[in-house]
Amino acid sequence: MSDALISVRDLTIRFRTDEGLITAVEKVSFDIAPGEILGLVGESGSGKSVTAKSLMRLNGENTVYDPESRITLNVPGETPLEVLSLRRERDMIAIRGGAISMIFQEPMASFAPAITVGRQMVEQLLIHTSLTEAEARELSIEMLARVGIPEPARRFDQYAFEFSGGMRQRAMIAMALSTRPRLLIADEPTTALDVTIQAQVIDLMKDLVAEFGMAILFITHDLGVIAQTADRVAVMYLGRIVETGSVRQVIRAPAHPYTRGLLDALPKLDDLDAELTPIPGDIPSPLNRPSGCVFHTRCPQMIAGVCEGRVPGYTRLGDGHDVACHLYTEQAMEAAR
Amino acid sequence: MLQFAQFAVVRFAMALFTLLMVSLIVFTLMELVPGTCAERYLAFKNTQGSGISVEDIEAEKRRLGLDRPFLVRWASWVGNVFLRGEFGDSCILRVNINDLLGDKFLISLGICLTALALAYAIAVPVGIISASSRNPWLNESLRFVSYFGLAMPNFLLALMIMLASTVWFGESLTGLFSNEYRDAPWSVDKFLNFLAHAWLPVFILGWSATAFALQTVRALMLDEQSKLYVTAARARGLYGRRLLWRYPARHALGPIVNSLGFDLNRVFNELPIVASILTLTEAGSLLLESLARSNDQQLAGAIIFLLTASIVAVNFFTDLALALLDPRVRKSVIGG
Ligand SMILES: Nc1ncnc2c1ncn2[C@@H]1O[C@H](COP(=O)(O)OP(=O)(O)OP(=O)(O)O)[C@@H](O)[C@H]1O
Ligand code: SF4
Ligand SMILES: [Mg+2]
Repeated sequence: MSDALISVRDLTIRFRTDEGLITAVEKVSFDIAPGEILGLVGESGSGKSVTAKSLMRLNGENTVYDPESRITLNVPGETPLEVLSLRRERDMIAIRGGAISMIFQEPMASFAPAITVGRQMVEQLLIHTSLTEAEARELSIEMLARVGIPEPARRFDQYAFEFSGGMRQRAMIAMALSTRPRLLIADEPTTALDVTIQAQVIDLMKDLVAEFGMAILFITHDLGVIAQTADRVAVMYLGRIVETGSVRQVIRAPAHPYTRGLLDALPKLDDLDAELTPIPGDIPSPLNRPSGCVFHTRCPQMIAGVCEGRVPGYTRLGDGHDVACHLYTEQAMEAAR
Repeated sequence: MLQFAQFAVVRFAMALFTLLMVSLIVFTLMELVPGTCAERYLAFKNTQGSGISVEDIEAEKRRLGLDRPFLVRWASWVGNVFLRGEFGDSCILRVNINDLLGDKFLISLGICLTALALAYAIAVPVGIISASSRNPWLNESLRFVSYFGLAMPNFLLALMIMLASTVWFGESLTGLFSNEYRDAPWSVDKFLNFLAHAWLPVFILGWSATAFALQTVRALMLDEQSKLYVTAARARGLYGRRLLWRYPARHALGPIVNSLGFDLNRVFNELPIVASILTLTEAGSLLLESLARSNDQQLAGAIIFLLTASIVAVNFFTDLALALLDPRVRKSVIGG
């Protein structure tokens, strides 16, 4: 295997529901190298959170992973870990707060309301390290100070509801990083914050991650945020990764019609008069996934007779720039002839 | 701790104020009953054969102080109730209400509170464990038991138990005391005799209360378990019992305590019918009788006030418990 820190192969996630088995994520593959920031973008419901949670086995009890799905965690110097083969909760500690930490979209809701922030931090440290209670307290206060929370010792004994929104997310970052994980998953960490605080929190995360040498899986529906933050991007639509590449490749030269649609929907600072064109149509319900290319129901360049029948494979356009679209496959070129 | 003391004092003042308002409402209602105490008493005497005149009524009114303004009468009533625990005389029976009620009210309250305590002692642990358990057998049987408890009316359960005991043991389970203790003063023996009888109404009232509480606890637990902070705690490596008790169960306790007040209300409402089937003259049914039959506003007012006061008191204590459980309540503005 490669030198990836985490390697996801053919990840297919389904949920048992009253309406039957629904597919949320289908044959998703990506790698994250140590220290790398991978941005995962896509509209609401595209399966970003479900994908992220599968890395920590946090999806609900109704989750079914297809047997060929593989998630391999490869921490340098340790034996590789097959995440989806873990059976006991006790063994999952390694990926929950050990090698991987997660920050959620809503900082308020991710703290237990009746337990002090400090208590929750110490509790995690006692699970993952051999620190004593007093040392864990000291380290937690240090971390709170490190993320820029004033009077950290007093804040340590407070509850999340006594913090402001930005401060809560800082505390969440402090908590997530305190165990020195190899990978930080940030699931829309700034969506609930206002814009100036968003920028501060993102800068803080980038600084700390560089300092601690950890990788980030950064989830957002905002390509603009990705452009400032990530090294590489994976664009997700309806449970499939449709395009992946370096930030430069994907944002400068988007290949997939969906990626182009996302970019056209962004306001452009250099041309404020340019029209914003939202992607036409609605996201189909996960209960009836489109056949063939999942985007064909909304794609302006859909090739009739090809796109609705066959799932496009990946075509390599440049170094590490892959796209799943028939516009770039042999079959389509033949059909066009 | 200082914060908590402050909270307790404020809540206590609020409870007192609520009681004061309740007393005003109850007193107004007593006033609104057509006819005054004086008229009612004399009318009652009239039916006994002694003739009365308008002068008699006026004299009686003056004697009872009914000629004073409304607010003054309320103040003297509420003053007697709050400071001396005296409810005055019954309109018709002309007996001191405290003597009339005797231990009846406390016995009723005791039965209801015991039933409720039992219900929660069972429902809280069982509800928490079953909500977190994946064992389908446990969940299905609990669901069956609690639906059965909800569906079976209390009076039916009471009748069935009485029938069974009479047919199989030839023993009647009615009443709260054996005959020899009924009018005896309280003693250890009388108390034991009381316990030997009281388990039945407690069981019957507790039966449906448990079913209700189980549903509440399960629903509240399922609600807590689906919250993000539980997922976030799992993401930090917590699992198993430690996760269950420190996170969802710990946080479900607040709303569970909150539901106690409502449940006491419901148990109170169910007491009279159970009491009348088991012919517990010492509890419950007295309340209904005085309200419906004799139209005795002084007595009815006293009973309604006592009932409401016990609910206010229970709410005061659940508020204190809530403040201990939830820092948001403790630090809320009203708590100071
Ligand atoms: N436990 C579950 N049971 C059934 N369906 C689920 C479950 N969890 C997620 N889903 C479904 O999976 C799909 C993908 O959800 P996901 O939360 O990953 O979207 P997302 O890309 O993170 O969107 P958002 O930007 O809104 O957070 C959704 O249709 C969602 O309803
Ligand atoms: S495969 Fe066809 S439908 Fe899908 S994105 Fe490409 S052109 Fe559009
Ligand atoms: Mg999401």
